[in-house]
Amino acid sequence: MTAKAVYKPRRFKFRLRRLTFSRFMLYLLLTALVVIAGLPLFAMVCRSLMPLDELYIYPPRLIVHKPTLRNFSDLLTSLSSSTVPFTRYIFNSLFTTVVTVLASVIVCCMGAYGLVKHKPAGSGPIFAVVLAALMFSAHVTQIPNYMVVNKLRLVNTYWALIIPKIAVAYNFFLVKQFCEQLPDSILEAARIDGAKEFRVFWTIAMPLLQPAWTTLAVFSFVNNWNDYFSPLIFISSNALKTLPLALQTLSGGAGVVARAGTVGAATFLTTVPSILVFAIMRGKVMETMSFSGIKS
Amino acid sequence: MSVKNAAAFRRPKRLGIDRRRSLEAYIFLIPWLIGVCLFFAYPIFVSVRLAFSDIVEFKGLKTAWVGFENFRYIFFYDINFVPTFLKVVTDTLLNTPLCMVFSLIIAIFINRKMVGRGFFRTAFFIPVLLGTGYIMKQLLGMGVDGMTVTTGILVPKLIADLLGPSITEVVQGFLDRITVVLWKSGVQIVLFLAGLQGISGSLYEAARVDGATEWEMFWKITLPMISPVIMMNVVYTIVAFFTDTTNPLVDYIYKMNFTNQQFEYAAAMSWLYFIFALVLCLASILMMRRHIYDSGAKG
Repeated sequence: MTAKAVYKPRRFKFRLRRLTFSRFMLYLLLTALVVIAGLPLFAMVCRSLMPLDELYIYPPRLIVHKPTLRNFSDLLTSLSSSTVPFTRYIFNSLFTTVVTVLASVIVCCMGAYGLVKHKPAGSGPIFAVVLAALMFSAHVTQIPNYMVVNKLRLVNTYWALIIPKIAVAYNFFLVKQFCEQLPDSILEAARIDGAKEFRVFWTIAMPLLQPAWTTLAVFSFVNNWNDYFSPLIFISSNALKTLPLALQTLSGGAGVVARAGTVGAATFLTTVPSILVFAIMRGKVMETMSFSGIKS
Repeated sequence: MSVKNAAAFRRPKRLGIDRRRSLEAYIFLIPWLIGVCLFFAYPIFVSVRLAFSDIVEFKGLKTAWVGFENFRYIFFYDINFVPTFLKVVTDTLLNTPLCMVFSLIIAIFINRKMVGRGFFRTAFFIPVLLGTGYIMKQLLGMGVDGMTVTTGILVPKLIADLLGPSITEVVQGFLDRITVVLWKSGVQIVLFLAGLQGISGSLYEAARVDGATEWEMFWKITLPMISPVIMMNVVYTIVAFFTDTTNPLVDYIYKMNFTNQQFEYAAAMSWLYFIFALVLCLASILMMRRHIYDSGAKG
């Protein structure tokens, strides 16, 4: 809010004096970068619309010449012909992802808040663990992880996809970073007014941390939605497979060449929910960074 | 005893309250700690044991201690590990600074109030939504036909013929790298944006009153104020490059694990790899620590 008030008068001057060249260059540069970043995306959309003969032309074509929806209908038939309907995969993916995200947001925010704002004994080592955990690729611990999940008798259930992904170090790290900017005085004021600790957390810290946890929620959603690795390991029943795993099975094995268009369509379809979630949360992720009360 | 230290440091006379708050903190932390113990700490312990042993029996994963045998094998017998490792290291060392510079510049640009700001913000963030796992693999080359998306597209054939193969290769390599870096810097851009928006406008106002130029304000205000975010971003970027699914070494380790089922050997490789990433992160933290501005918000 204050930033706006400061920038406004300057803006008019800027616009009157040097609207032309520097602005033009700025837009040109940004557009060029957007084009470079957007190319693979564009290629993906085009590939999903390409008929088979266009997919294998050399030199490869970027823009589709004879767009067709055949790939999508092929995808539906090749996935649904089995005993499990296509919509089941979508439900599986949605259910596990949404539950994971909700649980992760609450658990990580609580943990980070406790660690940062109370500085309990042993907070140093705990933070060291977080940092270390950040650096591990999920692949490193995958085998022992499987053993744990197996011992808990979770293999081949939805919980195998949810529980291991709740206490994620990266999410914790992100919230912790924002927690440190939370002024103690606001929390202290609430405590003096007689709020219990959980109430302080829920009604004061959480709303203030909203930029952090909405961002976290989007990242977490995207990661879990796109993840085919853990369902690959934990899920063997066809009815419990998630969408990315079901699609992944398409792109492997025999007949890959013939199914290239279907894979393109599948790739395109998988990206849609992530983009939708982002479109809904975008305002919150990007704009609500106005730290009301923070950074006076 | 560290309770006492913390208490003595923060609030000399109220040990009781501090101890109670410590307890409260652990109540808040417990769910997270359980998760970490089960799915991080214990698996790590098992994987260390695996790295130093040989699997005798797959059922129940019975192992025998062999010391550094697995590590010896990595360096003296495995012809794939060292070249792949070096490639990953050079890639990381090149990409991380590039990524930082690019994302900071982009963040500063799209933090201005301008027409189409929302569009640019979304455009640079979209790769984050798609750039993980399966889709990234499909898009950046390891897909169905093993062809890079940018090949033959960014540099049209006509121009390629004119320039000759060697120059085309350089240009192509450069463009490919920029594409990869841009695709990996969505998160960094968002974090930088958050950092930039956290800088109080009054600082700039004061500087402007004192007659500072935009350029001076960048070096004297923006950069110092955003330095904690830069450090966080550097660590994040290094880690992201290292743990990425498109990373050839991760792919190699993965194959060793699941195709060849040499769990102990894969564990040894991952540990070597992890230690390197850790050293790199610590080195960058140590190097940057002196230049970090402390907001003092911790009270």
